[in-house]
Amino acid sequence: MKKNGLYSKEEKIFQDKNKLYRAHSVKQIAYSTDPRDFGQVAKSIPCQEACPAKTNIPGYIRCINEKRYGRAYELNRGANIMPGVLGRICSRPCETACRHGAPDNGVSVGICHLKRACADLKSPMHRIIEGLYAPTGKSVAVVGSGPAGLAAAHDLAILGHRAVVFETMEKPGGMLMYGIPEFRLPRDLLMTEINNILRLGVELKTSQAVGTHITLETLTEEFDAVVVAAGCTKPRLLGVEGEDLENVYNGLDFMKAVNASNRGQTPIINETNRQSNRGLSPIKNVAVIGGGFTAVDCARSAIRLGAEEVALYIRKTMDDMRIDETEKHEARFEGIGVESLVQPARILGENGRVSGIAFVRTRIEKTGTPPFKKSVPIAGSEFVVPCDSVIAALGQAPDVHDVSDVLTGLDKDTPATGMKGVFAAGDFVTGSTDVISAIAGGRRTALAVDLYLTAMERKKTVVRLESHATTDRPRSYDFIDRVPMNTIAMDQRLADHTNEVETGFDPDQALEESQRCYLCNLKYEIDPLRCIYCSACIDVAPKDCIKMVETIPVNADGTYGRYAETGQWDKVVSITIDNEACIRCGQCYAVCPMDCISVTKTELIQMDMDE
Amino acid sequence: MPNSDHYVIIGNGPAGNAAAFTLRENDPDAAITIISHENICFYSKPRLVKYLAGKVDEDALAVKTMDEYRRRHIRLRLGQTVERIDPDSQSLHLAHMETVHYTDLVIASGARERLLPSMKPYADCLTFVTEFNDTTGLRKKIADSTRFFIFGGDLVAFKFLKMLTDMGKQVTLLLYPKAFWPHRLTKDMQDAIVKNLAPTNADILADDDLDTIVPEDRGGYWVTTKHGVRTQADLVFSFNGLIPDVDFARGCGLEIDHGILVDETMRTSLDNIFACGSCAQIYNPDINTYTTSIGWPNAQAQGKVAGLNLLGEHHKVRPAGRKYFDLEGVKIKTVWWEDLEKDEEA
Repeated sequence: MKKNGLYSKEEKIFQDKNKLYRAHSVKQIAYSTDPRDFGQVAKSIPCQEACPAKTNIPGYIRCINEKRYGRAYELNRGANIMPGVLGRICSRPCETACRHGAPDNGVSVGICHLKRACADLKSPMHRIIEGLYAPTGKSVAVVGSGPAGLAAAHDLAILGHRAVVFETMEKPGGMLMYGIPEFRLPRDLLMTEINNILRLGVELKTSQAVGTHITLETLTEEFDAVVVAAGCTKPRLLGVEGEDLENVYNGLDFMKAVNASNRGQTPIINETNRQSNRGLSPIKNVAVIGGGFTAVDCARSAIRLGAEEVALYIRKTMDDMRIDETEKHEARFEGIGVESLVQPARILGENGRVSGIAFVRTRIEKTGTPPFKKSVPIAGSEFVVPCDSVIAALGQAPDVHDVSDVLTGLDKDTPATGMKGVFAAGDFVTGSTDVISAIAGGRRTALAVDLYLTAMERKKTVVRLESHATTDRPRSYDFIDRVPMNTIAMDQRLADHTNEVETGFDPDQALEESQRCYLCNLKYEIDPLRCIYCSACIDVAPKDCIKMVETIPVNADGTYGRYAETGQWDKVVSITIDNEACIRCGQCYAVCPMDCISVTKTELIQMDMDE
Repeated sequence: MPNSDHYVIIGNGPAGNAAAFTLRENDPDAAITIISHENICFYSKPRLVKYLAGKVDEDALAVKTMDEYRRRHIRLRLGQTVERIDPDSQSLHLAHMETVHYTDLVIASGARERLLPSMKPYADCLTFVTEFNDTTGLRKKIADSTRFFIFGGDLVAFKFLKMLTDMGKQVTLLLYPKAFWPHRLTKDMQDAIVKNLAPTNADILADDDLDTIVPEDRGGYWVTTKHGVRTQADLVFSFNGLIPDVDFARGCGLEIDHGILVDETMRTSLDNIFACGSCAQIYNPDINTYTTSIGWPNAQAQGKVAGLNLLGEHHKVRPAGRKYFDLEGVKIKTVWWEDLEKDEEA
């Protein structure tokens, strides 16, 4: 806004009003455990509901808008523990759900970019805030230091338990350290946020493989409980002829090799470039099989290793790719092709090395109950693509036997396992998901362990309701375009495979993007006792969000159901704001002659049970 | 009993019109509506370049007149944009907040400009010529301007370049080997094209790429390439092929890859919805690949099949055969593009 000055006058008036309201308003705060309020929060704040960690997204975006970056960072950390990491690599389910991205509303808010902004822009003097419980004298072993293990250890330490993390690799972080390339996630930033967890007293034992150096049974004897968060490490295979040829890599091993090299070094991918003293590009023409984040990371890494032709080959459609639009754009920008609706038939080789790969075309078929999509090969559609390397990035599965032969009873719906005192978390129990889901899973498991160790539920979730005297945003903010992320040029990307591609927002960009958030945590209500049914609010509403209703049904779970609308005045019992359709433009609030529209800030918060 | 069927066609190009007129021929009573975001009746896109050059007027673009729709009781809703399809309620949500119900839907929304990822930051500086709506005010701008920069190298780019040089304009073309999408020009093809364009007196840049486009305060742009060529231009155009115009259909349950996936009967993955023309993606067994941009005659054939099958018949569209296409003296084998204008002239 400041840049082009388009809305500066309106903005100024709005901000002055805002200050005035604040000065004269008296806050009324209530805490609710009413299912209707939980239901309202879930439906009205789609971004938060979509976030597996239930991050207070409108809350932290509002803080960024007020340039309170440290507070925004802490609001994030309270839910997702590693905001700087997630601000860079989260799969962004919140943005898919964002109301600003709904049909007719434009483009979703850059929620993740704003998460990164608060991590980048907070003061160097920023202090992290942790509410520590008294020590319990109990100890918990956590197997794995990936996102789920770190999240579990973090919460267990806060709850007063001694947490000891056992990590197979030399460094902590799991997939964050070894699976994600440094050009997306700088390692100094990763280590800072891991150290924030370790500073709570979490002990880290690296190069300690449970199942090899120490057994799960020993851990159960030495600790009061064990959390297994060993992730997914067993690669899914292509299952085609030629998979054993040289220069056929699995995605995770390829990324491990790339991530093992430091700044200024060419990663050693195979013997060819090892023997050539690292100078030779190890791959030239690369076929990457898969359509997820790892596949794209492999493809983008291959470009940085000097590959001239890199293409992704996916079995289903472009729309089925499990990556966000930003990643798709960056892959295209770097010259990576995508061939959809194909599946590998066999890998061709000459002298033991890859010379090409044969694919068949596929079509999409729906089958089963409920229907699910599968790709079906089209008969007689085989074709050959010449290449010198194949990377199979089809994801990984958990390897239970790698950890223990006696561990049973894994159930993705519950943290407990078949072994007493042994719990599971993250991808190890759910199968391959994403970082934010793993963190949420780790936190859920920590609470289950705490209940097991203390026989007490120590926390409860409530809805905090706070009267709010202003809408916090003028209508003009609805028309701001999404602020694109700053990135480095292609030559800089190729100069070193560790150069971070995205460079973050400056404060002005963060402010501008924060203004786009509808602030769906503000609940708008019409007081039916004061409403004179003048319809002025309906007349100015830009959306079909103010409804004449005859009943508001209540669902079996105690939440509100969908409004039963009516066009007949004799049946209207209330004019109601549908907070699922409302874009919080504030037009109705401004025009109401009876001042009968109220705004309430709603937040999901954690409270101690004895508060 | 009155016929309550309402067939809605999204798109007013060759596929949509073929579907609409086929439906009318075979169902005289049903309500038929064509919805198009364009503000002009069915027109010839290949003639747009001549229109921009001032050689033909708007009337000469027309393929069908409003009267033809009136006589066949086909309702034509122009300048209206479909934003969303709701297959459950069989309705379309339009940008002006109207909801239109359908009993059967034919999507023939065509294609739109392809913006290269490297040009995304400069999208506001670029001018595209893919449909009539793009040409509003452009004729005068072209007449008033002297210096032009063209990115790309698809079919329209070369026609456009020749039009400008014929008008005595100063033109720079940055030739992209991937512009003739989905084909990639080989080095030999690229060299041949550069040679064949020499008589136009345009500056042809090859083996280079865009670095920056900087708008000037007084209008116009400075275009700089990676190799340091710096050129001033009044207008900057991008011609890098087309992509299916299907964003409005995403999220409604239709299977979409590059385009809306259809089988050989033009049925989509959802009941009561057909797709045809450049927005549809269909497997062509003769050349063992999926195709989207399928050219005018193929679009018409697909529209006809969609219309017939919507009425309960079971026709299959015949796979489009390969043809050689002449791109500035270079023969390229495609199944879709044809130089209709050249055919017309012949």
